[in-house]
This record gives sequence, C-alpha cells and structure tokens, in this order.
Amino acid sequence: MSETRAESAARQESGLFSKLVRSDLSRPTTLISGILLLVIAASATFAPLIAPTDPYDLATVSVLDGRLAPGEEMFDGTIAWLGTDGAGRDVLSAIIFGLRTSLTVAISSALIALIVGLAVGLTAAFYGGRIDAFLMRIVDIQLSFPAILVALVLLALLGKGVDKVIIALAIVQWALYARTVRAAAMVERRKEYFEAAICLELSNVRIIWKHLLPNSVSPLIVLATLQTAHSISIEATLSFLGVGVPITEPSLGSLISNGFDFILSGAYWITFFPGVMLLATVAAINVFGDQLRAMVNPRLSR
Amino acid sequence: MLAFVLRRVMQSVVVLFVMSLIVFSMINLVGDPVDMLVNPESLPEEIDRVRRDFGLDQPVHVQYWKFLMGALSGDLGNSFIFGRPALALMAERFPATLELATSALVISVTVGLPLGVYAGLRPDGWGTRIIMGGSVLGISIPTFWLGLMMIIVFSVVLGWLPVSGRGETSRFLGIESSAFTLDGLRHLVLPATNLALFKIAMVIRLARAGTVEVMALDFIRFARAKGLAPRRIVLAHLMPNILIPIVTVLGIEFGTLIAFATVTESIFAWPGLGKLVIDAIVNLDRPIVVAYLLFVVTLFLVLNLVVDIMYALLDPRVRLQGDET
Repeated sequence: MSETRAESAARQESGLFSKLVRSDLSRPTTLISGILLLVIAASATFAPLIAPTDPYDLATVSVLDGRLAPGEEMFDGTIAWLGTDGAGRDVLSAIIFGLRTSLTVAISSALIALIVGLAVGLTAAFYGGRIDAFLMRIVDIQLSFPAILVALVLLALLGKGVDKVIIALAIVQWALYARTVRAAAMVERRKEYFEAAICLELSNVRIIWKHLLPNSVSPLIVLATLQTAHSISIEATLSFLGVGVPITEPSLGSLISNGFDFILSGAYWITFFPGVMLLATVAAINVFGDQLRAMVNPRLSR
Repeated sequence: MLAFVLRRVMQSVVVLFVMSLIVFSMINLVGDPVDMLVNPESLPEEIDRVRRDFGLDQPVHVQYWKFLMGALSGDLGNSFIFGRPALALMAERFPATLELATSALVISVTVGLPLGVYAGLRPDGWGTRIIMGGSVLGISIPTFWLGLMMIIVFSVVLGWLPVSGRGETSRFLGIESSAFTLDGLRHLVLPATNLALFKIAMVIRLARAGTVEVMALDFIRFARAKGLAPRRIVLAHLMPNILIPIVTVLGIEFGTLIAFATVTESIFAWPGLGKLVIDAIVNLDRPIVVAYLLFVVTLFLVLNLVVDIMYALLDPRVRLQGDET
C-alpha cells in the first residue's frame, strides 16, 4: 500500500466530485437544482447589491406604497415586480434579505450541530462500553421526539431572536449527526490501521483527531446537505408561528407570516412569493442531496 | 422479559422527571408572567398581591416542589389566563386534535397507498415519475405555507370551503366530532388534507419500496406462473406483505401528527391542543406550556415503550441486547 488513507480518501472525494459533475449534466433535474442553489446562495450573499431597495432602510420605505400589486410602480419610481407588503416594503427585496437570514440560521445551526455531533459520536465510538451506551441513550431519547416540537418548546423557553433559533435548531439536530458519525466510526474501529494506531500507543486525542475523524466524516456531508433543507423549513415554520425570528429581522418564514394577515383581503403576493422562494430553496437542496446520496451509496440510486 | 419491560418503564419515568425539572427551571428564566397578568398602570402593591396569589414570589425550588406534588395527584396548576385547571383545558381541546390527526391518517393511507403501489408496479412509467416527483415536492413543501395557499385557492378565490374553526359538531356512538355533519366535514377537509400531505408522501415512498421488494420474491413469481390474475396477486399477495411495515411506521408517526397539528391548528384556527399551546407560549401562560409538554413527553414515551416491547416480543435479539447494557 503506497497510498495513505488520507490520500485515498481525497481521491475518493475528487472522484465523487467529477462523478457529480458528469451525472449532473446528464440529468436535467440535478442540473437545474444545482444552478438554482448557486443562484440562491449568490443572491443571499450579495443581498445588498442585488435587491432593488433596502427593506430595512426606514427612510426609503413609505407606507404610501403599501400593498401594491406585482408590477406596479412605487412612489419613487422603482417598479415592485412582486408587489409590496402592508408597510410598503418591496416584496422582492424583502425575499432576498429574508433568504439571507434563513440561510444564515440554517447553515450556522448545521455547523454547530455537526461539531457537537462529531464530538459526541466519536467519543462514543472510541471509548465504547458505558460511555457509548449512555450517550446513545440520550441520542435515542432526543430522536424519539419530532424536531419541530423540540424546537418549539426550546424557543418557548429561550424566547425570540436569531441567536436563540440557531441554538434551538442546533440542539434539535446534533443527535442525528452523533448517531451517523458513531455508526461510521464503529466500522473504522474494526479496521487494521486503527488497531495499528492503538498498538503504537498514540494518544487517544491523536487517534481520534488524526485517524477516526477524517475517515468517519464523509457520510456527514450528505446528511448535512439534507439537514440544511430541513432546518430552513423548521425555522420558517417557527417564525410563522411567531416564536422564531422577530419581524425586525425577517426570514422567509416571518415574511409569510406577515402576509397571512392580508390573505383574506386578496393581497396574495405578500405571502405567496416568499413561500415560492422557500419551496424552491428546500426542493433544490433536497434534490441535490438525494443525488449526492445516490453517488455515495450506489445501491440507493433507484 | 418482565425485567426488560420494567427497566424500560423505569427509564421512561426518569426521563419524564428530568424533563419536568428542565422545563420548570428554564421556563422561570423567560419573561415575567406577572407583566401579562396585571394592567401596566397598576400600583406596586397590586403587582405584589398578584405575585403572591399566584405563588410567584417563592423561590423556584419551592415552586417546583409544589408543582411536583400537585402533578403526582393529577393537578398541573391553573392556567394564568383562563383561571381554570390546565389539565381540564387540555382534556377539552384534545378531542379536536385527535379528530384532526385521525382524519389526516386516514387520508394519507387512502391516497398514498394506491399511488405508492402503482409506482412500485411500474417503476419506469410516466405516472410513476409524476408520483415520485410529487412526493419529493410533498416532502419539500413547507406544510404551513401550503395551508395558506389552500386557504387562498379554496376559500378566498373559489369560496368553496370555510377558512377557520371546527364547524358544527354532533354526537355519534358517544363520540363528538365534526366528521358527522356536513358543515363539520366542510371545516375538516382543508386542515386534515394539509396535515396529511407530508404523510402521503411518506406512505407513497414506503409503499413503493415495499412493492418493489415483495414483487421480486419467489412466491409472487409462483403466483404469476400459476396464472393468477394480476389484480388478485396485488390484493391477496402483495398487500398483506407491504401493509405490516406501513402500519408500524404510521403507528409511530401518529405522535408526530399530533405534534405537527400545532402548526395546522394555528393556520386554520382549529380549536385543538396545538392552538392552545401556541397561544399559551405567546401569552407566557406557564402552567399550560408545562402541562402540554408533560403530556407530549408522556405520549411519546408510551408510544416508544409500546413499540420497543412489541419488538422485544417479536425479536429475541433485541431482548438479549437490552440485557447487556
């Protein structure tokens, strides 16, 4: 074996990537979802540059522009392609900024959950025995409750705010990562290189950090992709219920919730378009993630 | 076996206790319910009196001890807003939620099962592509937003169905439900369909996977060779085999339906448990929040316990594993 594990893992990764690119081009759904994801990520990142107006700038937002239908002209001459909401904010701009909040919450909570999950999962797999049984019992109990409910209760306890939602979503998700990492690490544990590392009497920290971690991390990539979609959805639901992100810093969910009040008066666009954006984002991530999973595990591809 | 069951029951009781402790101590960190109870212009003496009356002036551990003793005797405290026992309020609202969840369950099976079996029988057909595409959409689409769209289409634009509430209820076989009157059914259709949507997508996937798996087995091949009509193969040989896992999963998922009902109930103003608890969270009505939480934790612990015991009965390996740890 001239190739080290890290190199072979890297080779696998690049293989995965080129496979992804090739199969992407052959399957229109994946191509579309990939492009859509890029566009979404770009517009969220460069929101202030792309959005026609700044929905947070109280100086330019005027109540006189309230509830304009899509395509109508606003007071200052800009055209509100997707209409305006009750306070006269341009819906399109609000969506672009809302996307930013939604993605920030989803991605940062996924990262926190990933790190905590990795630490717990690797600890459980490495030490085994009672520690493993105890940690996995907690994971089991946590996973037996639906995510939306746990998040709802946590936010009832923590209160509103972007940071609180991130914490709640991280707490909801860590167990799933922990279980997945543990399963992967348990397989690695039985391999020869691991035994060799134990025989060399390397320190525990080093074995976990240098050997167990790099080899157990790949199944998490797929999981993290799909979980991001899930947590965008949960965040939107929570904000809709009025326990998530406050209206001063709107996410897609709070925009939809904001439009709820205007539904009966026929101003559908305030709630319709943010929802379409939410659906497009979640669906694009799901389709992309499914493709990724099929590539990692070819048996599931059909 | 008895030891296994006892140990799991003990574990559940410990979880329940720990949960109540966590919730009770954390809920005391958020907001002061007294602010919600009194007029902002009240005199300080007035505020102090309210605080004393509701027992909010005592240290947290004293409050918890009182709560725990009450809970053990079936008293979860009075709602701050309604001034009535939390448990009684929940018992009043529960039938509405149960009705919604059951209707959603029925809808998801009657719609999802045929579609899933069809997709499994014709893996390459056009219909299958549409069904599977729809199921991805069904999993991706945020339930609450779809509920709003349903209101816009069916209530605002078409004007066919009412927007909110439970409608007229009537008694049948001792059960009070809106499923027995026309007006009630009209109110029930939108929320139940909305709640069912996610589960429909799940049933489709389960049914398809089951069908693909079972259709490849020997006894199906034999039934075909024998010259049985395809209809009979599906109904008599395929169905019983794929139904068992679907029923098991749906049984576990029933708890999720009750949890998700909170969202659906908020959209359609359905007077169930979920609406009660969302309002309670917003109004800082602590006793209701704590009572709801304990109820849900108990519900899920019981569901999981039943599932675990059934698995242990069916599969001895689970039992042995349980003995090791």
